[in-house]
Amino acid sequence: MSVVANRGFAGLNPKIWMAAAACVAGFAYDWRVGLLLTIWFVAWGVNVVLSGQRSRAARLAVPVIFGVTLLVLWQISVRAFGVNQVILPAPSDIWTAIVQNVPILWADFMQTVVKGALSGYVIGAALAIGTAIAVDRSQFLQRGLLPVGNFIAALPIVGTAPILVMWFGFGWQSKAAVVVVMVFFPILVNAVAGLKATEAMQRDLMHTYAASYWQGLFKLRLPAALPFIFNGLKVCTTLALIGAIVAEFFGSPIVGMGFRIKTSFGTLELAMVWAEIAVSAVAGSGLYGLVALAERRMTFWHPSQQR
Amino acid sequence: MKHLMTSALALSMAAGMAQADGNGDEVTLQLQWVTQAQFAGYYVALENGFYEDEGLDVTIQPGGPDIAPPQVLAGGGADVMLNWMPSALAARERGLPVVNIAQPFARSGLMLTCWADTGISEPADLAGNTIGVWFFGNEYPFLSWMSQLGIATDGSEGGVTVLQQGFNVDPLLQRQADCISTMTYNEYGQVLDAGVSEDDLVTFKYEDQGVATLEDGMWVLEENLEDPDFVDRMARFVRASMRGWDWAEENPEDAAMIVLDYDETGAQTAAHQIRMMGEISLLTAGSDGRLDEAAYERTVATLLAGGSDPVITAQPEGAWTSVVTDMALGN
Amino acid sequence: MSDLTQTAPRSGLSLGLLNVARGALPVVVVVGLLLGIWLAAVGPMNFRLALDQASRGGADVVPATPQEQGQTGLIRLMLDNPSVLPAAYVFERPRLPRPQDVLIEMRDNTVGLARGCEWTGWGAEAENWTGFSDGCLRVVNNRRSLIFHAWKTLAPTLVGFAIGTGLGILLAVGIVHNRTMDLSVMPWAIASQTIPILAIAPMVIVVLNAVGVQGLLPKSLISSYLSFFPVVVGMVKGLRSPGAMELDLMRTYSGSGAQVFWKLRLPASLPYLFTSLKIGIAAALVGTIVAELPTGARFGLGARLLTGSYYGQTVQIWAALFTAAISAALLVWIIGAIERRVLTGMGLAR
Repeated sequence: MSVVANRGFAGLNPKIWMAAAACVAGFAYDWRVGLLLTIWFVAWGVNVVLSGQRSRAARLAVPVIFGVTLLVLWQISVRAFGVNQVILPAPSDIWTAIVQNVPILWADFMQTVVKGALSGYVIGAALAIGTAIAVDRSQFLQRGLLPVGNFIAALPIVGTAPILVMWFGFGWQSKAAVVVVMVFFPILVNAVAGLKATEAMQRDLMHTYAASYWQGLFKLRLPAALPFIFNGLKVCTTLALIGAIVAEFFGSPIVGMGFRIKTSFGTLELAMVWAEIAVSAVAGSGLYGLVALAERRMTFWHPSQQR
Repeated sequence: MKHLMTSALALSMAAGMAQADGNGDEVTLQLQWVTQAQFAGYYVALENGFYEDEGLDVTIQPGGPDIAPPQVLAGGGADVMLNWMPSALAARERGLPVVNIAQPFARSGLMLTCWADTGISEPADLAGNTIGVWFFGNEYPFLSWMSQLGIATDGSEGGVTVLQQGFNVDPLLQRQADCISTMTYNEYGQVLDAGVSEDDLVTFKYEDQGVATLEDGMWVLEENLEDPDFVDRMARFVRASMRGWDWAEENPEDAAMIVLDYDETGAQTAAHQIRMMGEISLLTAGSDGRLDEAAYERTVATLLAGGSDPVITAQPEGAWTSVVTDMALGN
Repeated sequence: MSDLTQTAPRSGLSLGLLNVARGALPVVVVVGLLLGIWLAAVGPMNFRLALDQASRGGADVVPATPQEQGQTGLIRLMLDNPSVLPAAYVFERPRLPRPQDVLIEMRDNTVGLARGCEWTGWGAEAENWTGFSDGCLRVVNNRRSLIFHAWKTLAPTLVGFAIGTGLGILLAVGIVHNRTMDLSVMPWAIASQTIPILAIAPMVIVVLNAVGVQGLLPKSLISSYLSFFPVVVGMVKGLRSPGAMELDLMRTYSGSGAQVFWKLRLPASLPYLFTSLKIGIAAALVGTIVAELPTGARFGLGARLLTGSYYGQTVQIWAALFTAAISAALLVWIIGAIERRVLTGMGLAR
């Protein structure tokens, strides 16, 4: 279905007319609004054309163009409307802050993401999977544990973080503890569901091979549970990062992304705040991508991985 | 409950309209922390009608952990804010031209509270210990002081280990830090309340160390001072506020009860606020609202002497004005 | 499907109660176990603090100086100073409060606030529009009441949840039907969740205040930011869940795009939607609590958590924390109940 279909007025798709009308109205109201609308619609049009293509490069270009358009609109809005730097800095200011502060950003990244988030993530996942296996045999314990885990997962991080800082100190250990509390329950729920995911026929087959409980667990049920576990792991990557950053708001040494965000905000260095946010976004997406990659490798046999 | 919700909605709409464009006789004050006796003068002026006497309709907005008053001022959410001078001067350097119009607090209440059994007896002993410091604008006096003493704060050998602490005294009580930042009127009292006797503690008041900076000054945006209407409104506001402070100093217990009435969280206690009011009176005593130029110069000198990490890099120009206090209090 | 395998209920009430009991028993047992572990842990958790206090009070402790105490292991300290253990259980500023202290604090700040509560009816003695005296209403409108603060948090949560759900469904419909949106928006929706909302919330509040939006709405908007993403993900999955066979069937009925949407995709997505709603409402509550910090922390459960933290009232923190979790559990349960009603009515119950 071509975008430039030959229906509508003068041979152009009515949507293009509507977009043009919106731009004109925007210009009439304020030239800056008109400029922003025009850029938006042009970029959207490019994306529409690209989405119709088959090539992989074109499909990858679409979200990139979308993101770049947002950045351009942001930059133009801040400069054209004269927004003060202490309220919202422009992307160019943020880029300058990033380039000038690479050592600080790197140190913060190591402290928060590697020492806090990753260690908590690994410990939490291991605990959750271990608990799922431990309660696997007891339907009773499962029915009791899941509502309780639901309750613990509902504890707001703004409340649990100060308590965990009180218990585990100001270092990365308390941040890891906060992350453990946040990721434990989603992974547990997914692991329990995954361990139930085998079909009767598959379990019967193991039975005919005279497999013990543990053999059945490691050779059939755990691999079958992997798609569910990975689902939980993917969701928890962002939770882990957010948990580590927020936990640092409540007590930390003088390094860390949460610390830097809080103190830079207090001294009105908003560009640094956004630089840290940018690092957080990249780190979170990167972590998500790594887990998705591992998922593709390890659960290649699952229908969702086969296009 | 329904009435509560409708009245809350109506209040918020009214508050929204009240601060919309700032003409008329409306003034919005942005506090720098939650409602407590630290701001008693303003609540007293509101409650006792001092603002009404000047023909002003005043809204007091409490602050909190995530509110940077300079940012609220920049966003037009308030006409006048309370702020510590280091934080406001730093904001000035970052491109937000705020100007001091009045200084009700003549003295600083910032102090460092340490366990006596750590062996610390004078500032030079601080090296090698773990110190809890508030950030979010309150770290400037500490960093300047350490820089003047030549003690590193970045964790290097022979320096102090700095922890970013929250606004409570647990890090000291639970021995996660050897010293913590406290205010004379709040956290120090909490340490004593927790059963620690004064003999167990060693304290350093920034005033005594000569590194105190001015606190809780009233600041406005520079561009607003070009409007004579605004200056007049601010003068009336300052006059009524100082009346409130005078009343609070003479009637500390009643002032504390007024503050308690305005506390919406229900978490404050009378005993705590009465003690806080007593300590605050020591800080406001002797000030009629005018900024003492010598104290201002001392603060600026402390900040400029910050060594490798100065809070401000250049002598501030036009950071304070006596225009408002002259109009308010007469020359 | 479960309906087919169960026999019809015989005597409704007793069997119903039995089912409830059977469902509740594991939870009760697990909760009881956890409470027992909690109570036992109170002493060891507070032991160092109690030891410190005892030594400053002049008692003989082994070892004597705080530095040495810091370096000795907890078990060793407990074995050497058994007399301090009872004090550790009733310590005033505990690292871990006793469960009963938390419950007492919660009771004191809810039903314990009532003063002279009695039934007045609506006749001559009526003091307000309910049938209760004003003393009873203190339970819900006093500033100290946890219920008051819970409502102050729940109101923006519900509004934010509604906004987030509406936005999420619209976005999901767009993503499923428009290829451009699918390719461009979805990756950024995922990336948006990696931005810590606690960092952005103050700026959002300031900008909104600058344009005159105050009160409930800024908190709701931040709350909706956290709740829209699970709804988008769930709805996209749900709207895409009808298989090839079902879609072909609609084609044989010559169903238009809109008909396919309303009669097939939307009903098929409801189970996924409800799962996402449950996650979304818990996220919305967390979002509101986070949004309370930059708006002055004046009321709401987040404010209560923080003021408890400032003034060292540990038990107040725990009481507010539990109230927040109970509120979240209640909201999720309500959605679960709606889900059961709707889905059984449609025959999609699991």
